[in-house]
Amino acid sequence: MADNPIRMNNPGAGPVAPSAEEQKKMEAAYSQMKRKMAISQMGKTIKHKIMVLSGKGGVGKSTVATGLALSLAQQGLKVGLLDIDITGPNVPKMMGLDGRRLNVESGRIHPAQGHLGVKVISMAFLLEDEDSPVVWRGPIKLGAIQQFIGDVEWGQLDYLIIDFPPGTSDEPLTVAQSLPDIDGMVIVTTPQDVALLDSRKSITFANTLKVDVIGVVENMSGYTIRGKAPSGTDIQLAAPAGRTLQTTADDNGDWALTLDIFKSGGGEKTAEEFGVPFLGKLPFDPGFVRGGDDGVHRIVSEPDGPSSLAFAEVVAQIQSRVETSDSGGGLEII
Amino acid sequence: MDTPTLKRLERRELDMHLTWSNGQEHEITYDDLRHACPCAKCSPLRNEEKTSMSLRRDIERLPSEKPSVKTVGNYALAFKWVQGCSAGIYRFERIWRLGENLDPDNGQTYVHGAW
Repeated sequence: MADNPIRMNNPGAGPVAPSAEEQKKMEAAYSQMKRKMAISQMGKTIKHKIMVLSGKGGVGKSTVATGLALSLAQQGLKVGLLDIDITGPNVPKMMGLDGRRLNVESGRIHPAQGHLGVKVISMAFLLEDEDSPVVWRGPIKLGAIQQFIGDVEWGQLDYLIIDFPPGTSDEPLTVAQSLPDIDGMVIVTTPQDVALLDSRKSITFANTLKVDVIGVVENMSGYTIRGKAPSGTDIQLAAPAGRTLQTTADDNGDWALTLDIFKSGGGEKTAEEFGVPFLGKLPFDPGFVRGGDDGVHRIVSEPDGPSSLAFAEVVAQIQSRVETSDSGGGLEII
Repeated sequence: MDTPTLKRLERRELDMHLTWSNGQEHEITYDDLRHACPCAKCSPLRNEEKTSMSLRRDIERLPSEKPSVKTVGNYALAFKWVQGCSAGIYRFERIWRLGENLDPDNGQTYVHGAW
């Protein structure tokens, strides 16, 4: 409390020390005020803030959020990654930051630095061990999220990518209400109908909160099998839904066929239906699973591979929309 | 009709003057604004004429004051008063409807939990 300017004074009777309870209340009010000031400053220090959401779980949201952050960092940009998934934080593992602890100085939390200098904040850094559950009701989560937003020393960033748990509840609502100048939401989906149904909810949610939908990304969109055979050989592959895929080995004996494991084109169709941009497809790549488990993202281990290129294309779409949409239509309150 | 974007809000002694992106201008008294509070405590009181009138009278008894105003995300405003309820988050659509003298609740009675 040495730097806390709040003191109780009783004119004429000299300073009176506040009771422990009063002191606690004043400290809480002071830290809340500091947090609000810090949050208002984030509009200036962080150029672009992007929320990554999906209606349904298991569509690869954290993988996509991590991939977007790394792909942006590959361009030499300063990037932060905020893992708001309080009860299931996975980002640190994917970023090779498993078991890391956060550094706190003068009441400010300093993010851990992952691959390519990406700054990461996650609930996982605060857990005793990875098997400990977070059993919190909404208001406690809300407080933690506001701390993650307001008490973190991000420094100057070009992009802050925010990864959410699935759904349209407390977490995205709190961030959309607290964080100033959010550029928009990226909705992650997989091509099957169940995921698409929930993605539509996410788009409607964004519209309700007046947050732009930057676009829809279709993840796990096709699994490409590659092989070698004598040049000119006809290759046949039994695909889902009783279909047969065919190709011919090229002059080098290489062949490739893409299996649409979860159908294909659903993300594009949903984007069209809701009049929001379609940002692109990301392939189903078992390397993401290995990379996630080993803490070395596919973009880091294979920066020129097909998955990295797919991410780069999605990121280019996002940048073209975000960096040209600085409309500055702010409200003047007198 | 899509709600235009609110460009300017001027707080005056007893009301606020609003300017919208389509050039429309509105004046909303603070009493009307407070009576249309969308919080879970005030909203059910508007469901019935008697309680709605009682809410109105309670508001009119409060000393007049200029509220502090802050934006809530990109979609709403929150008004903070020294006395009375400050819990409501007013969506821009709601404020626009108030300015147009339309029912801010759009004829719908309040049901707890429906947002």
